[in-house]
Parts: sequence; structure tokens; C-alpha cells
Amino acid sequence: MEEKKLKKINVVYLLLYIFAPMVICAICFWIKGMFFPKGNMAVILTMVPCILSIVWWIFAGKIVYTKTKNKLEKKLDEMGFERNHTFNGSSCTVVVDAVHGNIGMAFFWNPSEVFVLPASRITKTWVDDGKTGAGIFAGSARVSFLFTIDDIKVRVNTFTSNQRWRMDSDYILTGISKADMMVDVLEEARSIKEK
Amino acid sequence: MGFLKKIRGFFHDDWCSKCQSKMEEKNRRLYMLPMMVGHYTSHDDAEYYKKNLIQVNSKADIPIGNYACGLIAYECQECGHKAVKLSIFLPVRDEEKLEDAKYFENGEMDNFIER
Repeated sequence: MEEKKLKKINVVYLLLYIFAPMVICAICFWIKGMFFPKGNMAVILTMVPCILSIVWWIFAGKIVYTKTKNKLEKKLDEMGFERNHTFNGSSCTVVVDAVHGNIGMAFFWNPSEVFVLPASRITKTWVDDGKTGAGIFAGSARVSFLFTIDDIKVRVNTFTSNQRWRMDSDYILTGISKADMMVDVLEEARSIKEK
Repeated sequence: MGFLKKIRGFFHDDWCSKCQSKMEEKNRRLYMLPMMVGHYTSHDDAEYYKKNLIQVNSKADIPIGNYACGLIAYECQECGHKAVKLSIFLPVRDEEKLEDAKYFENGEMDNFIER
């Protein structure tokens, strides 16, 4: 089993993802300004990098993340990992082998690595129902389950929304149920590994 | 779940569909439905429930993230009509998220209840 430290974010990838299109756009604008101030080439050098940048920011992350998840699945299959529970979060995928007590993880912001770690390295698990307000004003816009590995906190959202929902709404209850289930599964895997 | 079914499930699940009189509750049981949260699929066939429902004593016996199914068997004292209502819900801490309600009024579940 791997002993490497968990790394949620690959800083180089994060910076490239955000700034590379900007740099390419700036270079294209500079070329346009210096060599093609007018004409078709000027339009191409202005429009194409802008459109490609928007396409990159919208789709590239999801495509890369899907490839990372596929890489994780391939690795798990090679290792004989029993995939009892898989939770695909928007920023992190968690796969639990409740038989051997291992967990596999892939992160949106770290596509260069996937992690397969013993669940005994989990130190804490809990559910955050995102509740704010009191009484009839109680509500939430995010439910997630969290765990710490090597003192690094991993948050996986089971429900997110751009509006607040009542705590007894179907969305919130489903999110809490999923989070409770994942915490239960992680604790089970940890107890198996620690035996 | 359909709107009318939901209304009926909330207010008048014990009304006889033949004579509209109040039916008597004959049997009430709790089962676990082996379906996980996020993977619920509606089934209209009674055979599915007969094959998959697992009886439990209380909600505490249902693993976290699994669906529960409450069965209530009714019998009309006026016309003798029998009906079985299945309430499929997700137990979440102290709450219940109602997912679906199924009514079997042609004796489809009779041999299951008699088990």
C-alpha cells in the first residue's frame, strides 16, 4: 500500500488551468498589435484565443477529471481493490474497499496523481449539513462529508445549490443520507484496517 | 410520485376505492428495500417487492442510506375490498423522505402478507 502523502492540489496544474489561456490570449493580442493591426488575421488573433479560453475553462477541467477518475479505476482494478462504495463528488472521488479497509481517491485539482491509501490513516470523519439560521429560518445550501488523512482535511460535497433549502427538503435529506452513509462506510473501512 | 397519489398518500390512503368508506387496518409491517440512496428505481410489479423486501423490527435495523418500506394492509368492512399500501421512504436521522407509494388492490400481495 502506498505511503505517499495525500496531495489535493497540484499547484502547477491549477495555475496553468487559470492563467495559461490568459497568457496565450495576451501573446496573440501582442502579435496582432505588432504585426497584424487590421484585416482577417487581426480578427482571428482576437477571437479564436478568447473563444478557446472560454471553452477550456468550461470543459477542460471536467474532461481531465474524468480521465483522472478512469486512471484511478484502472489502478484499483490492477490492485484487486474491491469497490464497495464509490462517491463521485465534484472535486473529489472517493472509492472505499470495505473488505480490505482501503480507500482510493482522485482530485479535480490534482490530475497527475491518484491515491490508494489504508483507511487506518483516516483520523476523523464527520458530516457537515451546512445548517445556518434557527427555527423556521434554518436551511442549507451545501451538505458534505469530511475526513482527515495525515492531518489534511478532505471535503466531498453530496449536495450543493445556489439557493438555501429548508432542512427537511428532499434535496437536503438526500444529501445528509449520502453523507451519513459515506461516513459510516469510511468508519467501517477504518475499523477493518485497524483490526 | 404522481401528485394525486401523493395527496392520497398523505390524507386518504385508508379510503376504500370501491365504496369510499374508511377501511380497517389489518396489518402493518416495516421492511428494508435493498436500494441505496441516489439509486432509487420505481417498480410497479408486486413480484419485485415480494422478492426483495426484508422484514425488520424498527428503522434502527435498516443500514444508513438504504430505503425503508412500510406495508399497511387494509380491509373494507362495508364491501370487503382489500388493499395493500407500500410507502417507500428514506430514513434520514429523525426524518423520513417519502419517495414513493404503491397501492395493490387486486390481491397481488395477499400471499406475501400471509407468510
